[in-house]
Amino acid sequence: MSAESGTYQAYRTWVTEKATVRPLISVVIPAYNEEWRILPTIGAIATHMCSRGEPWELIIADDGSTDTTVSLLEDLRFPNMTVLVAARNAGKGDAVRRGMLAARGDVILFADADQSTPIEQFDRLLDKINAGYDVVVGSRAADGATVSSKSALRKVLSRGLNLIVRGGFGISVSDTQCGFKLFTAPAARSLFTLQVIDGFSFDLEVIYLAGRLGLRTSEVPVEWIDAPGSTVDAAKVSLQFLADLARIKVRDLRGQYPVTAHSPAGRPAPSPHNLPRSDRTPR
Amino acid sequence: MRIRTESGIGHTAVSLAGRFDAHETAAFRVVVDALFGPDQATVRLDLSNVVFVDSSALAELLRVQKAARAAGGEVVLVNVSDPVRIILELTELKQVFTLETTPQTASTLS
Repeated sequence: MSAESGTYQAYRTWVTEKATVRPLISVVIPAYNEEWRILPTIGAIATHMCSRGEPWELIIADDGSTDTTVSLLEDLRFPNMTVLVAARNAGKGDAVRRGMLAARGDVILFADADQSTPIEQFDRLLDKINAGYDVVVGSRAADGATVSSKSALRKVLSRGLNLIVRGGFGISVSDTQCGFKLFTAPAARSLFTLQVIDGFSFDLEVIYLAGRLGLRTSEVPVEWIDAPGSTVDAAKVSLQFLADLARIKVRDLRGQYPVTAHSPAGRPAPSPHNLPRSDRTPR
Repeated sequence: MRIRTESGIGHTAVSLAGRFDAHETAAFRVVVDALFGPDQATVRLDLSNVVFVDSSALAELLRVQKAARAAGGEVVLVNVSDPVRIILELTELKQVFTLETTPQTASTLS
């Protein structure tokens, strides 16, 4: 092979040397039986994050996988990657919560394990954080999004649920379920401490709570490519989603979300110099 | 994913660009399998503009490698991009292929 690129050299450093400074960026990936898909996803994310040149960490939140996902990851022995092993399959929401609360970065990205939203989209979400937003939601429904290979069933279910969410919850975000969301660290701590939904509806709960906490939330159109091999039964998940909608609403009406106690004290004025660069120059 | 082939005297160039995933393997197979012939058992693929390969794509590359070796040739991956190189390393498939770097933008099938 030829001379190594700067990105490749940064990757080699990342996989061999423990960072001596706190990460600016954390990437959290929930994983349930992902032995087939997780390594290419890690490769793509590591390439992009190492190209940025900032300290970053990767957290894989296992969700009680019964295949070789955990051993596959632990065998990598990457010093800047943490594998959170779960004894049982508690749900995607539980896995994401554990990952988000373990993250140490100033900004924390939650991304699905299938790389259906290419990691390069991260930079556009970060632009919004640097503009002062607390929560930035990757969206397949916002103007400008490109969606490939999504099944007709999933399109119908998504649109139907979106209508219900908008009407019943007053949430303006047009796609609550895209597995690509970026949070400031204080926002993540507040939201994922309050989150109680362990299943796939946790996204909706988190966005709903963001509104209740007064966090600034933005939606960014993303490129999304359906990744075959999903372990999700869309129809079954949709029914559970409806049940969780009611649960969230009832819980809130009963005052069981202590939003005041967990509300951020107020975000300081945006200080991009403390946050990862969004106007980076590729190495 | 864009697949480009350029045939010339004694060689055919194949280059891929974009995301090589499960949605693209069928088209890739049609193109690459058509290139094999009695005098062409070595496949050279330019991956300089491939941004991602998933497990299905890796499996397809392995299938082509197996076919090429059975015919007495091999798959040569030319100018692999950083993400492809890193994914090949992570999956321990790098050693399965011959990797080459050339100043050319397209590779050849000879």
